[in-house]
Amino acid sequence: MTALWKNNRGLLIIAAIVVVLMAGLLQSLEPKVWMSIMLSGATLAALYFLVASGLSLIFGLMDVLNFAHGVLFVLGAYVGLSTFMNPRLLFNTLPFFFVLVAGLIVAQHFGRFFWRRIGAVRSRQVATAVLVLVAAGLVLLALRGFPIRALNAFNITAVGGAVTTAEAQEPMAAMLRRVTMVLLAGLPIGLLLAPKQARDELPLRPVWQTLLIAGVAAVVGYALLLVRDPGETFMLALSADVRFVLAIVLGTVAGALAGVGIETTLIRPFYGNPVTQLVLTLGLSIAGIDLIEAVWGEEGNPPMPPPSLFAANCRSDSLLGWLGEHCQSIDVLGRAFPTYRLFIIAIGIAVFIAVGLLLRRTRIGMIIRAGVQDGEMVQALGINVRRVFTFVFALGSALAAMGGVIAAPYLGVFPAMGSLFQLQAFIAVVIGGMGSYVGAAVGTIILGLARAFGDHFVAAGINVPFLDTVIKGSPAIARASTVLIMAIVLLVKPAGIFGKKE
Amino acid sequence: MAASPTPTNVLEVRDIHTDIGQFHILDGVSVEVPEGSITVLLGRNGAGKTTTLKSIIGLTPPHSGAVALRGREIQGEPAYRIAARGIGYVPEHRAIFRDLSVEENLRIAERKPGDLSRRGDFIFDLFPDLKRLIKLPGGNLSGGQQQMLAVARALVPENELLLIDEPSEGLAPVIIEQMMEAIRQLSAHTTVLLVEQNFIMASQLADRYTIIETGRSVKSGRMADLVKDEETITRYLGAT
Repeated sequence: MTALWKNNRGLLIIAAIVVVLMAGLLQSLEPKVWMSIMLSGATLAALYFLVASGLSLIFGLMDVLNFAHGVLFVLGAYVGLSTFMNPRLLFNTLPFFFVLVAGLIVAQHFGRFFWRRIGAVRSRQVATAVLVLVAAGLVLLALRGFPIRALNAFNITAVGGAVTTAEAQEPMAAMLRRVTMVLLAGLPIGLLLAPKQARDELPLRPVWQTLLIAGVAAVVGYALLLVRDPGETFMLALSADVRFVLAIVLGTVAGALAGVGIETTLIRPFYGNPVTQLVLTLGLSIAGIDLIEAVWGEEGNPPMPPPSLFAANCRSDSLLGWLGEHCQSIDVLGRAFPTYRLFIIAIGIAVFIAVGLLLRRTRIGMIIRAGVQDGEMVQALGINVRRVFTFVFALGSALAAMGGVIAAPYLGVFPAMGSLFQLQAFIAVVIGGMGSYVGAAVGTIILGLARAFGDHFVAAGINVPFLDTVIKGSPAIARASTVLIMAIVLLVKPAGIFGKKE
Repeated sequence: MAASPTPTNVLEVRDIHTDIGQFHILDGVSVEVPEGSITVLLGRNGAGKTTTLKSIIGLTPPHSGAVALRGREIQGEPAYRIAARGIGYVPEHRAIFRDLSVEENLRIAERKPGDLSRRGDFIFDLFPDLKRLIKLPGGNLSGGQQQMLAVARALVPENELLLIDEPSEGLAPVIIEQMMEAIRQLSAHTTVLLVEQNFIMASQLADRYTIIETGRSVKSGRMADLVKDEETITRYLGAT
């Protein structure tokens, strides 16, 4: 009993405070109102959690504050939206990424031999400058005049876009030329990313592996381009539900790949130099949103239609009834609540459990937990922690991107959606304790509930006991409430509720 | 130094220099660790003993000089690869993973699946307490138990060499006795390079010594000769 208290003191105190607060609120609110606010809070919490869990793991393990995490949320939402509504955009843009990776991997593999030949510092600087110019020139040449806006007209082809596919996309020959130029641009970029000093070199993977990975990437890239017309027809013929699942899968995968890309290019070369990493991710958080706006446009998109499970125009009496009727809302103590939001909550819980099992039950999870505490010691046991870093970065990025896709039917898709969630996720992570997985979950629940109740009291006001007047807050108070909670928690526990790191 | 026929050295550190940040910490350290021996690094606080161990395992790589494990130079390799070559490291302040259970603390050190089940009997014979505590989080263990866990962790894979930093630090005298006995027993299987402030413990355990003074190795030889050499002891180690 005492051990239970000792080990979970933070959690128990918070749980007690939350229970007392909720009981108090339950007294002053009608149960149905209280319940629907709780569920709204849980919906927000689930989305915050998908962003915050990755942030927290990445910070805990690598001491990297990833300011670009919100970009991944937005990226996921847009890739999901395009998968769902506008596959031609994917078929015309994804090949660039695949061939770029192909060129990059090959050049990075052989790059160390290139740098070994250039000994003098001066010649290395010249070589670096030349490579940057060549890469930039090739990319510019490849993308000049690329009809991104036409490909993207209204972000929609599913229900009849404003521009037909034939008008929107370029002839195959032109696209092949562009894609090949990007493939070539990958070579100088790969050389730039190759280890320049012998001490930075990681063990070289066998040549055949490099060639295999690069080969597969190149083949997939060109194949996607070659099948773009039948591919688009095929995807649009799929049912909306299948496309929704595909949207989640592709959005999540895009997030994971972007995470690997960010880690290998912006983070990995600068371990031990946290300020550089911080500034780079901060820069990416701005440039990334600009890039997304360049591809998908600045104007927002209405919410993506939810899958048919949550779409029927009716109200179910119970979860069991919903299973048969697939209504868009469900009766909760006499008030309607959108079923899709219950789905968001379910995904949040499922991810919490799945990642928790990964951390508790697998060897890589054990290494992550150990690394959060003492990465140096993990190295000294003979484990290559850097490889685990890349995995965790990819995992965290994938979760954020998945959050973006799942939020799309709830919030709509717009470039600013990420910064909103990133800020709240940061606050949740700070409240829960940097680097603590459970802390991130608890922090997001507290924030989600605070926001939901805050919004309610702004709209409805508070009935103060023994007074007749109703006190209404301003919307700014609701927004500030999360920061207030953070300030209070930090005053009591400077490292956060579950925090151990300084 | 004595010109006796040298047995094969598991480890040879030759004139290493190590900087940490802008500080020049090691300024020419050489150590030989013969096979099957317990060699101890002696010296005052801040002399560079811990940094010597960290330089060997690669956590603070030396910028010049050589570290050879069985004749093969390993300096400059990343720490994880040096460790995987067969070096176990027990850092000072018992750096166990507090949130991991005792079992996980041991299992994470496996280099091949099944290392722990193969070596479990040997480890739990040395430290019977750990078997009883196997499910507890490392952070709940007492200081002495944590120190035992840190040593046990280094024994999970088959290591050729153990680097043990201040195993007696902050422990009660009874526990120090147990720890000494355990190190004596495990040294029958593995060569040991030890850092130890407690000269009495060091002199009872070690076969050989190297004294480090302000980042330089100044004297090494057989422990049996050192205990008779009061001049050296007072000069480099203060009072006995």
